[in-house]
Amino acid sequence: MQSGALIFLVLLPLAASVPMLFGRNDRLTRMLTLMVTSVEFGITVLLYYMLTKPAKASGPWLMYVDTSWIPGYGIRFSLGMDGISMLMVTLSALLFMLSVLVSWRSITERVALFHFTLLVLEAGVMGVFLATDLFLFYLFWEAMLIPMFFLIGVWGHGRRVYSAVKFFIYTVSGSLLMLLAIIGLYVIHGRQTGNYTFALESLSATTLDPILAVILFAAFMLAFAVKVPLFPLHSWLPDAHTDAPTAGSVILAGLLLKTGTYGMIRFAFPIFPQAAAALLPLIFAVGIIGVFYAALIASSQTDMKRLVAYSSISHLGLVALGIAAWNDISLSGATLQMVNHGVTTGALFIMVGMLDERAHTRDIAAYGGLWAKAPVFSAFLLLFILSSLGLPGLNNFAGELLILTGLFRGHPILAAAAFAGMVATLIYLLRLAQKLLFGPAGSAAEIKDLSARELAIVIPLAVLVIVIGLYPKLLLGPIEGPVKAMVQARGIIP
Amino acid sequence: MSAQELYALTPLAILGLGSMALLMLGAFMPALGRKTLCLIGAGIALAAGLTSAFYSPEVQLAGGMISLGGFSLFFTTLSCFTALITLLFSVGYTARRPLGDEEYPALVLFGAFGMAFLASSTSLLGIFIGLESMTLSLYVLLASNRADRLSGEAGLKYLVVGAVSTAFFAFGLGLIYAATGTLSVAGSMHAISASGSISNIGLAGWAMLLTGLGFKASLFPFHLWAPDVYEGGPAPSVAFLSTGSKAAIFAAFLRLAFETGAGWATLTPVLWAMAALTMIFGNIAALTQNNIKRLLAYSSIAQMGYVLMAVIAAPSSGGSPAVFYILTYVLMDLGAFGVVASLSDKDGDLGDIGRLKGMGYTHPFRGFVLTICMFSLAGLPPTAGFMGKFGVFYYAVKSGYVYLAAIGIVTAIISVYYYLRVAVYLYMTPADEASAGASMPLVPKADLSGHAALALVAAAILLLGILPGGMLELISAIMGSPPY
Repeated sequence: MQSGALIFLVLLPLAASVPMLFGRNDRLTRMLTLMVTSVEFGITVLLYYMLTKPAKASGPWLMYVDTSWIPGYGIRFSLGMDGISMLMVTLSALLFMLSVLVSWRSITERVALFHFTLLVLEAGVMGVFLATDLFLFYLFWEAMLIPMFFLIGVWGHGRRVYSAVKFFIYTVSGSLLMLLAIIGLYVIHGRQTGNYTFALESLSATTLDPILAVILFAAFMLAFAVKVPLFPLHSWLPDAHTDAPTAGSVILAGLLLKTGTYGMIRFAFPIFPQAAAALLPLIFAVGIIGVFYAALIASSQTDMKRLVAYSSISHLGLVALGIAAWNDISLSGATLQMVNHGVTTGALFIMVGMLDERAHTRDIAAYGGLWAKAPVFSAFLLLFILSSLGLPGLNNFAGELLILTGLFRGHPILAAAAFAGMVATLIYLLRLAQKLLFGPAGSAAEIKDLSARELAIVIPLAVLVIVIGLYPKLLLGPIEGPVKAMVQARGIIP
Repeated sequence: MSAQELYALTPLAILGLGSMALLMLGAFMPALGRKTLCLIGAGIALAAGLTSAFYSPEVQLAGGMISLGGFSLFFTTLSCFTALITLLFSVGYTARRPLGDEEYPALVLFGAFGMAFLASSTSLLGIFIGLESMTLSLYVLLASNRADRLSGEAGLKYLVVGAVSTAFFAFGLGLIYAATGTLSVAGSMHAISASGSISNIGLAGWAMLLTGLGFKASLFPFHLWAPDVYEGGPAPSVAFLSTGSKAAIFAAFLRLAFETGAGWATLTPVLWAMAALTMIFGNIAALTQNNIKRLLAYSSIAQMGYVLMAVIAAPSSGGSPAVFYILTYVLMDLGAFGVVASLSDKDGDLGDIGRLKGMGYTHPFRGFVLTICMFSLAGLPPTAGFMGKFGVFYYAVKSGYVYLAAIGIVTAIISVYYYLRVAVYLYMTPADEASAGASMPLVPKADLSGHAALALVAAAILLLGILPGGMLELISAIMGSPPY
């Protein structure tokens, strides 16, 4: 009976999106969308509370729902939620709710269409984090691109069309190759067992020729790596982030990038353990280069949004390293870090967006001495910057420490290098804090302090930053079980 | 001929006799306007379609010329549907850009008759008759806007190409008949490949047949006529040409493929190359088009490549994905040309893609339908096009054509760019004042029948994209029960 909640999580935003399309009253549309996203968030929190209270350990999923969908191809509509997806789903619901608030003043054109797009996107993201049938996953994965494309292209700034198209082409190229790999896997599994199915559990048990496995794994990883994005497939990200509206950047950084790492954890690595082991050096290399390269590029940015965008690439490079190391510590760290990055980077994009709304420039040089003008704003910004650079006691520290510790177990040199990468992060983030908050006043116009609405957006994020930092067990508890199971399922592969 | 057989022919009879009746109606009641005549035609097509979908018994006619099994009835219904939608598009269009009086709807119905006959034929002669009655109508339909020189040019171009391809096709039929002594599709196809591979005369015959089919279905290297004809022809006629005729040709192609049996392997290398080149060429050429009709022309060339890929795999894996893909293609291409028809004013068809600027907001419904069709043609979920492409790729991989599937995927990625361009113009480019004032004095207002048809098509695309299960089962039931 509870499992219906999963379907509800996907269908609620989808069903609610259609009436929004016909909204004539902007205020009402915003209120209704806020209500829908709040209800969605409420449900996820409720589920979180209910499912973590008793240590439920019956089967791999906390909740599971499975119905027939396209019998001709053996495709089922199956959604499952374990600790990992639960974290992602809750984070998604939170960020979508905040995105509505963030756009309250900044989106003034085509308001009805905007909220329609936002809700459709929410349904897609929820679906990606819950699907356990590969076909269904792929469907949500691709369908999610379309609303994002419109978010960037219609409500963006600057070269929005270029960025939107670039984003779409990059991601679609990766995903269509993954489709071919999914089909390949489906056919191979069907031939072996006579059971043509896309169910994750069945497909994981397919025996594959090693070379073929590497090819299929590479196709999956390509799709995920474009989304994360891992070096050298990242070039769409700075453009997309820079030109997207604030809500778009928040969702892009907070959630869509996570679908890539989530896909690795849920699908790519568990289905192709041997191939993953074979390609491990490559993944490590790409991850560590990403950490340094993006930090280097971020250091020379003058546009705040671009700086935060490059910092995402650097942070997610580390997450990818944590996933690739695949032991319970590093994997927990990677999962935790996915949430942390969503919270922190989401918050940074929101605050940068607020500055942009006030002074209409994102040039770092235009600002200075904000602390004197807008102390509350500055305090929050400093908190998020400190969180992003991994100050102990704040959320990122916990995640990064776990990843590095896990990485150190099998790959001490790599861990040391990744740690050095963390230091590189310090440089550009501290520089950002120093230029914006302190020093002489910049050329930008008078900066007003946070309004009540804006406080309502940043306070929950700030609370999360501190709470997760002080008590990471809140998030590590639910993922402990699934992470252990995943590490064990893969066994010991040299 | 028994009563039941006669009854089974009802849909064809409704189309054929309805076409004649419309001509009479126009002659004796000149007061009926062009719009009314189109609506009456749509009613006849609807009646024929409903009869074939729900009331027709499945029988094999004694003469052996045509069979009315599930496969034939499916395509008969599809032809009627295409004619219905085309005529509904034409109601508003012909009011602005006259498409002729009663002869226009009459020819659409006759064309649909030809398509249904072509798809149902079990004899080489039947295929030829169907093909000819279909193309004969299309020549006139393409040239039916007498005020527009481009329309006449399109008709003439199609006539020349059509005549040449017919000659090839007839010669091919002749060779096969000469080699086997039978006109039955099953008999002759089995006979030429009796030894396990196709005999030499049979091969020569097949080469001619492929040339003819390639021209009509605009497969590489026989596709060159398509962009000009699509650009010049009136949008509703082009919609009919692009969807109905190709669906019927592929129905016949599938039947030939299935009956060829073991000899099919002899043909696959050629077909493989044709499919690959069609996908590559169509998709790459579409990238640079600035005329929406030419863009759609190249797009439909490329789409035929995907269908051909499914046809190649059909004898080993079953033809259901091919049939499903044809169905989705018909829907999405009808929708796209329907929007073009609906946006064409009296000075000319919608051409320059730049005229779509901002139309997603000024004409939200048509913009939405066009967007749905573009995403579907690009093969993105949650549209029918995605389910169609999935089936095609799946069967290609299953039958061992992995490289062809890979080429298909790569060209599909390329195609995303030009389909997105349309969405970009619709939603992301504001209409600039200068060009809006000069080239687009007024965008035609909504007309009820055209919009109803568009809504129907868009709903079908979304439905087949989200819940394709029922249709897939229907199609596999049809394909599982010979005679096709």
